Amino acid sequence: MKKQHPFPPKYFLRFFRWFCHPRMLDYIEGDLIEVYDRNFKKLGKRKADWKFILDVLLLFRPGIIRPRKPIPNLTTYGMYKSYFKIGWRTLIRNKEYALINIAGLALSVTCCILIFVLVKHHLSFDDFHQNKDRIYRVVTEQHRESVSYVNSVPSPLGLVLRENHTYGEKVARMFHDSNSVITFERNGEMQMIKEPDGFAFTEPEFFEIFDFPLVQGSIVTALNEPNSAILTERLAKKYFAEQNPIGQVITYDNQVSFTITGILKDLPITTDIRPEIFVSYSSLKEYNPWLASDNAWGGISSGMYCYTLLRAGVSPEEVEEALKPYVKQNRPESKNVHHYKLQPLSDIHLNGRYGGVLEMSDIGILIAIGIFLLLTACVNFVNLATAQALKRSKEVGVRKVLGSFRAQLFWQFIFETAIIATISILIAIAAAFALVPYVNDFFQTQIPVNFLSDGILVLFIVGLDVLVTLLAGCYPAFILTDFKPVAALKGKLSMQQLGGFNTRRSLIVMQFVISQVLIIGVIVIMNQMRFAKEADLGFDKESIVMVKLGTDSVNSMHVLKNEFLRLPGVNKVSLCYAAPASSDSWGNSIRFGNDSEEVNFRTNMKLADADYISTFDLELLIGRNITPADTVREMLVNEALLQHLGITNYEDAIGQVIYANGGSMKGPIVGVVRDFHDNSFHAGISPALIASASSMYSNYAIKINGNSVKETLEEIQQLWEEQYTGKMFEYSFVDEDIAQFYESEDTLLKGIQFFSFIAIFIGCLGLYGLISFMISQKTKEVGIRKVMGGGVAHIIWLFGQEFVRLILIAFLIAAPIGWWFMNQWLQDFEFKIKLDVWTFVLAAGSTLVIAAFTVGYQVLRVAYVNPVLSLKSE
Amino acid sequence: MKDYQLGEFEEIVILTVGILNNAAYSVAIKDEIESRLKRTVSMGALHTALNRMEDKGYLKSFSGEATEERAGRPRRYFEMTALGKKAIQYAKDTRDELWAAIPKTIWQSNLSGI
Repeated sequence: MKKQHPFPPKYFLRFFRWFCHPRMLDYIEGDLIEVYDRNFKKLGKRKADWKFILDVLLLFRPGIIRPRKPIPNLTTYGMYKSYFKIGWRTLIRNKEYALINIAGLALSVTCCILIFVLVKHHLSFDDFHQNKDRIYRVVTEQHRESVSYVNSVPSPLGLVLRENHTYGEKVARMFHDSNSVITFERNGEMQMIKEPDGFAFTEPEFFEIFDFPLVQGSIVTALNEPNSAILTERLAKKYFAEQNPIGQVITYDNQVSFTITGILKDLPITTDIRPEIFVSYSSLKEYNPWLASDNAWGGISSGMYCYTLLRAGVSPEEVEEALKPYVKQNRPESKNVHHYKLQPLSDIHLNGRYGGVLEMSDIGILIAIGIFLLLTACVNFVNLATAQALKRSKEVGVRKVLGSFRAQLFWQFIFETAIIATISILIAIAAAFALVPYVNDFFQTQIPVNFLSDGILVLFIVGLDVLVTLLAGCYPAFILTDFKPVAALKGKLSMQQLGGFNTRRSLIVMQFVISQVLIIGVIVIMNQMRFAKEADLGFDKESIVMVKLGTDSVNSMHVLKNEFLRLPGVNKVSLCYAAPASSDSWGNSIRFGNDSEEVNFRTNMKLADADYISTFDLELLIGRNITPADTVREMLVNEALLQHLGITNYEDAIGQVIYANGGSMKGPIVGVVRDFHDNSFHAGISPALIASASSMYSNYAIKINGNSVKETLEEIQQLWEEQYTGKMFEYSFVDEDIAQFYESEDTLLKGIQFFSFIAIFIGCLGLYGLISFMISQKTKEVGIRKVMGGGVAHIIWLFGQEFVRLILIAFLIAAPIGWWFMNQWLQDFEFKIKLDVWTFVLAAGSTLVIAAFTVGYQVLRVAYVNPVLSLKSE
Repeated sequence: MKDYQLGEFEEIVILTVGILNNAAYSVAIKDEIESRLKRTVSMGALHTALNRMEDKGYLKSFSGEATEERAGRPRRYFEMTALGKKAIQYAKDTRDELWAAIPKTIWQSNLSGI
């Protein structure tokens, strides 16, 4: 047939098809061919061709050329409308599935958003300074037997860095003292207030390094004169209300007075510079003459910071190298070798070693948790969608027969997923908005609540939407569009063809793995915390209150102690430097016996009077207690000290002389006490000695009779305030102080508990959806089995065995992962629990129980249903 | 009444559609014009005119059968609408009026000139 038709010039025909308005294409093309045909017969091919070409060219005119805006656009829009409509109807028809999917996704996305906000908040610390890339803090590595890290430096270091070198464009020293008591006058009355964020003696260059603008006064002159101070607007308002703060006087610890010369704009939330009162550094000598002197190389006071803004092009390594000689020059004898390092500004917030709020790894954990949760929710979605695929096979078949391409169908299903994802995300945004205050409370952050105005976050949410849609939608869409239309329309598809039951199984296993790892984590952390808080510390910590000493003479100190002892609720009182385990500790290098050199380990100096042992119930292994004295006469040592010295027979130690604090404290050992935990369980027991030295006491340790704590405390306060008029009464309980050691672990525990709850919940949602689907598939089978004599237990096992098997497989994967992670976590502790079998049994058991509860109701219902009903169902 | 816009070529086309009555499709129109008026008609001009008149509402079209000689492409048949009829009527009337208004002498002088 075709042979009869001569062909017109191909390219011109194609050109014509390309430019012609689609509405007219067929008619005109028909005309062209008809005319060509006729010409061909009449005039021959050559002429017919020419005429054809001429016709085509003459057709190329405005009325015939297709409009520039292509018509297909219109069609696509209509298609999307239809996708939306169909998607929405599917959603409404399967309310249960939709609810499970949306709930799961919304929950996990809420967590993701919150985690994102949190991570972003922590990463944004101190990034608003103009020269942030060149700002460094000088920190110290202390190399003794082991290396320890301090975020402060000897006070003269900043001076030499500025005076002797040109690396730093600016160098500023700051001495930050937290928890200071501020006295000021308001309306003619003296007020006293405790400022937890304290007070900072600051060199004026500090404000040239960092961008903290003043609202009143001049940054150049404000701190130049001694005894001047600047404070934030917030504090100025708090202290002086509406009065003009400039020129007012504040007094620090009743010791040094400062005149206010400037007001700072409130510090941003995202800075680790916490003090809100900055005073002239030159006044430091009034407060602590040793620290202010130019040769205070002997030790490092915490809070003594040095910041520097390096010149462009100077590398921190150069500076570190240049600082090396000062150690030899100024600390030739010391066994505590300092290495001064430059810590970049961006590292300060995220390096726990130097006192950062959290570690970079914590950020990683948070992100990992977010990804986990997102994955579990997507897994649910994939599971339910593929399980439901059978229901939609007819639709797919019909669409394919009517000419849908696979790609079009694919995008249809993706579009449906997008509807669900978007609904979930909208819910999640609302939820996250409501939850931000709780997150702030929990993580002690100050993330602003109007976080939705943040462009990056909006971008993140949109990205999340796309990601979730693709993650959750791709696989089901792939499966659904894979149907052969004939098989689909005949209803010949079985579950096996639907992307394999195994895929779904492995997804369920993955969810169980995640929740079991989290459960193992929770159990181990809880056990370790209980161990740390309840273990025998080697001393008594119950109902002992530490009351701060008001600075006063030795005499009145003893008088007050005796008055306390007279109170009926007080059992024992000891004057001491600090409790056996305390975050305040004074370390010292000692010299032992006839050795000419100091030992190379740090000795914890527990300076206390003779009642220390009895108050804290320390056990004396050998020898006797020290006799009461006001200066160092005799010493008690712990076992660890002797072990470090290599003395195994404790009797040998008795009578040996110890020289401490450069020889100014010396005395013979008169007894050995049993080791007590002077640190958290993270660290080992350090060598310690107990000696009396009244000048160093700063606390009363008061053992209170457990029954009348409140009244006794009030009586103590009354006596204290009589003795120290005009001072603040401060106290804390020893057991609470010790609990504080584990604050970050507590936060971690709560966090993991929360997230494992969510992960389990999402997993359960998926499980619930899957079991209800399985049951609807197997209703008939159950009916037949029952008719044939299958009992309820048999039916339950029919469904149960599947889940039990999956959970056991998941457990086999989760156990080693959980073991590895928790073992890693426990390495942080010097004293730790053993990972025992029971932890894992408990984890597996609890997952089984949770799964049983989730699927139980549905399985029981189907097991008890009358077979007549289930067999009649079609 | 100036709404009846009809160009010269358009007028010829619509009249031809009328002549062909029920068989008016593009190639037939083209052939008819070519044979009667001895002028060549390009496909482009014809289709443009047909489309424009359809837009104006003088013509309506319907799709015809697909035939072998057109390689399966359908024909598009045209038909005058009532409006189209009014339009050519109007065109003829205005011409006639103009004709009538020409003084007879013009013709005579012309004749005498021959």
